[in-house]
Amino acid sequence: METGPLSPTDHELVSRARSGDRSALHTLVDRHARSLFTLAVRLVGQVADAEDVLQETFAGAFRSLATFREQSSVKTWLTQILILQAAQYHRTRLRHPAGRLDGLDVPARSDGPAGPAVDLRLDLGSALLALCQEHREVIVLRELQGMSYDEMALVLKVPRGTVESRLFRARRQLQHLLKEYLL
Amino acid sequence: MTECEYADRLNAYYDGELSAAQRAKVEAHVDTCPACAAELDRLRKLGSLLGNLPRPAISEAALARLHRAADLWPTASIRRMASALAAIAALVLVTCLVALWRQDTAAQARPAQPWELAAEGRRTMLDAAPPAAEEQLASLVVQDLSSREDQ
Repeated sequence: METGPLSPTDHELVSRARSGDRSALHTLVDRHARSLFTLAVRLVGQVADAEDVLQETFAGAFRSLATFREQSSVKTWLTQILILQAAQYHRTRLRHPAGRLDGLDVPARSDGPAGPAVDLRLDLGSALLALCQEHREVIVLRELQGMSYDEMALVLKVPRGTVESRLFRARRQLQHLLKEYLL
Repeated sequence: MTECEYADRLNAYYDGELSAAQRAKVEAHVDTCPACAAELDRLRKLGSLLGNLPRPAISEAALARLHRAADLWPTASIRRMASALAAIAALVLVTCLVALWRQDTAAQARPAQPWELAAEGRRTMLDAAPPAAEEQLASLVVQDLSSREDQ
């Protein structure tokens, strides 16, 4: 998020928070919650679950403030925690499949007056959630968050080459799932 | 789908992750390879489609919960740390008790040391040995005194 000339940087906010300044934490929440929420929704599929994942993300960040080494940006650090929380969410869902396993938070495709734009959004959401977790992560980080390959490698803690191969396969799969829109 | 050797580089090209020299090479190839040109077109369309995904807004209630979590910090952290320290203290106590108990049991069960055996043997030998010279002397003194009394 952009900071004005007088606004403290994220790292300054983290330092202040470590000294017990809670207002610094509030500022960090305000700066990053919205963008991270979008990421969470795309990773877990359902708004309510995304809110829980985001809550756990910030709780985890607050807990590990003391150990944050500031070698990466705060945004990257928070994204790393969110990715881990989303992965934990999927593992829990697999162990306790009480709800829908596909995690789709979208109604069935409509042939009614909703129109092709709505169908497109539904199909896009479904296609994204049809990807395996690793492929969904790279697509979301690249296409929605606009991260570079190096940033993705840092967030996902995998080599850059792994990011490239996952992205290649993920896009191939999406092209197949959405082929009617790519003609 | 293209199976051209450049296929895997098209993603990096599309994402702007190639150097200028690499970009020029891919561009020259795409100009002459219809399969790669079509693949690049699909990548662009896919990116455009994904860009159309709505960006859901976080609810005010969810945002308020995050701020409440910030308000609870570091109280919650201190509470967790206190619990962790209490658990560690309990673990140390139990470990010490177990170590003391094992030490006591081991002392009872361990084989006697050589010096202990030697000392024990010496005592047995003394117990079983014939009266020593001092005892014989004492006996003679007693006999002598007895004979004097008789006289």
